Amino acid sequence: MKPRAGLGAVFSRTALTLYVIVMLIWLLFPIVLVLLASFQGKLEVDFSLAGLNLEAYKAIPPAYWQAFWFTVRAAVSATALAIVIAVPAAWAMVRGRLRGRRVLSNVVLIPDVVPQLIMGIALLTVFIPLHLSNNFAGILLALVALSLSTGLRFSEALLEGLPEEYEQAALSLGASRLKSFLLVTIPLIAPGIAIAALFIFMQNLVTFELLFFVAGPNATPISVRLFSDIVDRGVIPYAVAMAGILVYVAMAFYTLVAVTLGPKYMAGSVMSRKG
Amino acid sequence: MAPARERPAPIVDPAPKGRGRALSDDTSILKRRLLRERLFYRLCTVPALLVTGLVAVVPLLLLVFNSFRNQASGAFSLEYYGASLGNAFFLRTLATTIGIALGVTVICIILALPLAYLLARRTLLRNVIMPVITIPRMLPFVVIGYAMILLLAPTTGVVNKVLLGLGILQQPAFILFDWPGQAIAFCYTGIVVATAVLTGVMMSVDPQLEDAAVSMGATRLRAFFVITLPLAIPGIVAATALIFTSIVTAYAIPVMLNGRVPYMISLLISANLLTLQQPHLAYAQAVIVSCLAIGVTAFAQWFLLRYGQRGGAR
Repeated sequence: MKPRAGLGAVFSRTALTLYVIVMLIWLLFPIVLVLLASFQGKLEVDFSLAGLNLEAYKAIPPAYWQAFWFTVRAAVSATALAIVIAVPAAWAMVRGRLRGRRVLSNVVLIPDVVPQLIMGIALLTVFIPLHLSNNFAGILLALVALSLSTGLRFSEALLEGLPEEYEQAALSLGASRLKSFLLVTIPLIAPGIAIAALFIFMQNLVTFELLFFVAGPNATPISVRLFSDIVDRGVIPYAVAMAGILVYVAMAFYTLVAVTLGPKYMAGSVMSRKG
Repeated sequence: MAPARERPAPIVDPAPKGRGRALSDDTSILKRRLLRERLFYRLCTVPALLVTGLVAVVPLLLLVFNSFRNQASGAFSLEYYGASLGNAFFLRTLATTIGIALGVTVICIILALPLAYLLARRTLLRNVIMPVITIPRMLPFVVIGYAMILLLAPTTGVVNKVLLGLGILQQPAFILFDWPGQAIAFCYTGIVVATAVLTGVMMSVDPQLEDAAVSMGATRLRAFFVITLPLAIPGIVAATALIFTSIVTAYAIPVMLNGRVPYMISLLISANLLTLQQPHLAYAQAVIVSCLAIGVTAFAQWFLLRYGQRGGAR
């Protein structure tokens, strides 16, 4: 844009800059505050850098670490399962030109469309008689159902972008359908699937409302643990430190995706954040 | 897996001419092979359907089914819907929830639109700000709640301390554990989502269209309102639906920043379910709320289909 002379232009330019700065501060404040508080080990955040220490991090009790690793375990297994289930399904739907394909993919999208709070309540009613509430399997199942929709959406898009000719070439040279899928299709979409897995993993890691009702003392994801502690006991410094660790995880995730794909990819990405 | 090992059915010329005798044989083999192939494809989708069916469809159907049954006798009844929709407290809470959600959504969209526009047009700015709007999306809402408390808590919060220190406030403001605190928290998450979605939409609007308008004598501002904004409307609708539904059914923030009166409908539902031991009433209310949320999403989808998907729905 060409700079235009005149008071009005200068004024609007300043206003715009101011607006961007204010928005930036507004967007950044939770991260900054949580990190500052976690390093100051107290709840009254001030902006002096003198009293920084690691006390709060050292004070994180084992139960928190347990919850953290529990969540990581559940998220990793759910992601792996979801990919293993979603990729063949997407392949069959795209290549097989199955009748009722739209219905099929819409059914799988249900856990994503229904609000997570309601899904959680519905799961609770079914899981209690099945003894699936308050254990790892229940959490895992809930996460897999949630991940499937993302996984299917990703892999359908990937497969639709992949020309069918590669597979047909393999077929015409005598490979079986399965062989051509494993040797031709999978390697071609593997990078995209890896990115999808990363997104699904992150989504699983931060899911809260879906898991809140089916979680219990024997199966506590970290978000539920942080939540119930703040409700029962208020803000505790070591809980803030754990929140800080989650911020680091998010930063690591962003860096990973930005380095591999370039930051442009994140704008309007498929990951719709809910709950 | 048997059909997989089979040679694939080539894209076929079904009846090779001049082999009259084998013709019917050939087509039947071909038909069987095609059938088996289709079966194999169907088998591939079974696990996905099974998991979704067991973990989503059945529980949801049960939820709806139970909401129509009396809790004690199991007889069919509409009493829970009547009790919800005839209850002034429920309706008031629902109205408050919708009001907060609507207000916050509108504010978020308006605040995020210019930022999204700038981000879409300035690559440098976008590369700098992208992490700032992406990282919060990778955080559990609980963490946002912690940050809100650190920011706004009555005596220890940063804002109160600064304002007291400057002498603007005489006594600490108690906005956190009341509806304004919740609205502010929702504003935060809403702006993050809106900026991310709208940036993607704005990037898909061709800047040359605007340049054309400017070259014909429009000011930049006018070009934005007349050209860019209308083209971005599908994205705005999508973002609105997303933010609105996520606020209506939010649970973490309303509980963490709750006052004594439940303002948000999700609190009422979970209280009925967990503390008051009226699960069927809670189911009925959950059905009402999900109808609202899904209705809004469906309307947005319909709108996008009807008026083109230029902006990109996601």
